[in-house]
Amino acid sequence: MSTMLEIKNLHASIGEIPILRGLSLSVGAGEVHAIMGPNGSGKSTLALVIAGHEDYKVTGGSVLFDGQDILDLEPEERARAGIFLGFQYPVEIPGVNNAYLLKAAVNAGRKNRGETEIDAFEFLKLAREKMSLLEMDPSFLNRGVNEGFSGGEKKRNEILQMAMLEPRLSILDETDSGLDIDALKAVAKGVNALRDPARSIILVTHYQRLLDYIEPDHVHVLSKGRIVKSGDKSLATELEERGYDWVQEAASA
Amino acid sequence: MSAVVNQELLEAAVDRIADDNLTALRKKAVASFGNTGFPSVKNEDWRYTDLSPAAELSNIHLGTAEGTDSESQLTDSQIGDWIGDIDAHWIVLSNGIADARSSAALSALADAGVAITPLSENTESVQVTIDDPLTSFNASLLNDGLVIRVAENTKLDKPIGLLVLHNAASSSGMSQTRLVVEVGQNAVVQFVEMQVSAGDSPYFANSVMQLDLAAGAQADIVRMQSCNDEHIQISKVIAQINEDAVLQYATIDVGGHLVRSDIVANIVGARSRVEISGVFLADGRQHIDNHILTDHTVGPAKSIQNFRGIIGGRARCVFNGKAIVREGADGSDAEQTNHNLLISDTAEIDTKPELEIFADDVKCSHGATVGQLDKAAIFYLRSRGLSYEQATILLTRAFTGHILAQLPIDAVKNHVDKLVERKLDAMTETAAQ
Repeated sequence: MSTMLEIKNLHASIGEIPILRGLSLSVGAGEVHAIMGPNGSGKSTLALVIAGHEDYKVTGGSVLFDGQDILDLEPEERARAGIFLGFQYPVEIPGVNNAYLLKAAVNAGRKNRGETEIDAFEFLKLAREKMSLLEMDPSFLNRGVNEGFSGGEKKRNEILQMAMLEPRLSILDETDSGLDIDALKAVAKGVNALRDPARSIILVTHYQRLLDYIEPDHVHVLSKGRIVKSGDKSLATELEERGYDWVQEAASA
Repeated sequence: MSAVVNQELLEAAVDRIADDNLTALRKKAVASFGNTGFPSVKNEDWRYTDLSPAAELSNIHLGTAEGTDSESQLTDSQIGDWIGDIDAHWIVLSNGIADARSSAALSALADAGVAITPLSENTESVQVTIDDPLTSFNASLLNDGLVIRVAENTKLDKPIGLLVLHNAASSSGMSQTRLVVEVGQNAVVQFVEMQVSAGDSPYFANSVMQLDLAAGAQADIVRMQSCNDEHIQISKVIAQINEDAVLQYATIDVGGHLVRSDIVANIVGARSRVEISGVFLADGRQHIDNHILTDHTVGPAKSIQNFRGIIGGRARCVFNGKAIVREGADGSDAEQTNHNLLISDTAEIDTKPELEIFADDVKCSHGATVGQLDKAAIFYLRSRGLSYEQATILLTRAFTGHILAQLPIDAVKNHVDKLVERKLDAMTETAAQ
């Protein structure tokens, strides 16, 4: 199995404050990894650094995607290469049509791969199909991006974008937070539909609940900017029962 | 030193205009104007807008010409370029007079219940306002004007188009436009007003629209101004809104060097509604000033002012939106908003929504914001594969999209989108340099 994402000794800070302090992680093609950890451990920072957020400064280490260092790439170049970030807090953009963004995003990726732009008919057909999978009303297409969406609708919209873009690496940052059980199931269905030997998924989550619906191959615990323990899905169950303290204590011992 | 209009030159120019039905009005107006001249920046309403360049242009023009501008010599294809795909009964106005190209529209409108006649033929029935310096200056130099009377219960198949040409082809020019519009009871009418420059010389256009909406009447008006970058445009709309009447007015400014628009809506009838919205886009050294007044003398009635501006370069814009709710105008609902986006460090906006309330039972709100593009939104769009440039253009367009989507006349939407898009392209190009 080939390695899709290879993070080595990654250090990153926001302003003067170091958040990631020597994080290493290897994600193989087709694998689903869950990254868990207490608040402030650096989970969201890791997601945003991979996506290329300019507020985070990488001060050391490397991030290879398909063997290529992506740290010098602009966020849009990473996206076009097939990296997708599902935001913890999706931004509301009134006045920018949801369908317009979806189509522009799909076409940005296609153009990068040397493919022709998707035509309007094909686009609508695809969008409706994915929306029905996620149990989203087609009227969401004509609304402003996330404008006035409930928390659950925003998260479904993130997964809709993911389903349309078919990214090779998806990083879902606390996609499960704030979801009721029906929304959680719909989101999981969308994610599971994308599982494929050529695609990898990183689930950043606080709770084990999501992992009942999307079964991970590997589970990692992040603490103080480093991965302090890795295991299989049983680690998530153990964390749910025992909390994070024992892992953190063991790591600092 | 700030320039003022030379009153002797003005009087001489007025005297040179051949005697006609409007002579008495001109004499009265020129005397009235002489008492004040143009307002100076010491006048609170003109604090940010210096009319010196307009006075200078006026003096040059008054010293060399009859005080007015000759009829334009434009080809039909030039006219077609301006009008684009807007399906309307087009009237081509030059210096306040409908030119020969308008005859088909005039006769079609006459058949449909809209009588359009020269102001000079209506001096008995029309009160031409001269109550402020700019409207008296306008009346002083009137060659003629248009009176548009929409009969009761009229409903038109398409809007009335007013293409207002400013003949800036040669030396510095000047024109006075006067429109008197009377919309009869329960009539519904739409106007598309387009202010354009023919040529790229400096030009001073001063226009006044008197608008009277009878009970139950509705007027939807979209005004677009895309004049050249030497153009000075001063416009005033004075509207009377009677009971159950509706005025929906949208103004789009993308051109001009110095632009000042005053819209005064006098709400004199209960259950009426006034909605005035606007988009202004300015860069370079453009100056665009919108002064809006909704004056509630009776209630219940609703007024909405909603303006958005995008300002770049060294441009300066002004928004002054005021609502007055007079004593006894209970049940008034007045709303004013102005949001602005500054896309350069040197751009400036002076925004002031104001409320003056003398009645008890009212609902009023106002708000203004000045900001830059949302960084979180830019990152979000880039994380979906859009370039930084695509993201900023999209967000900039979205900023005005909200008003453009709600323009009261569907037939202009496409055209307005194009005007706005072209301007934004030019602005983002300059910003990128």
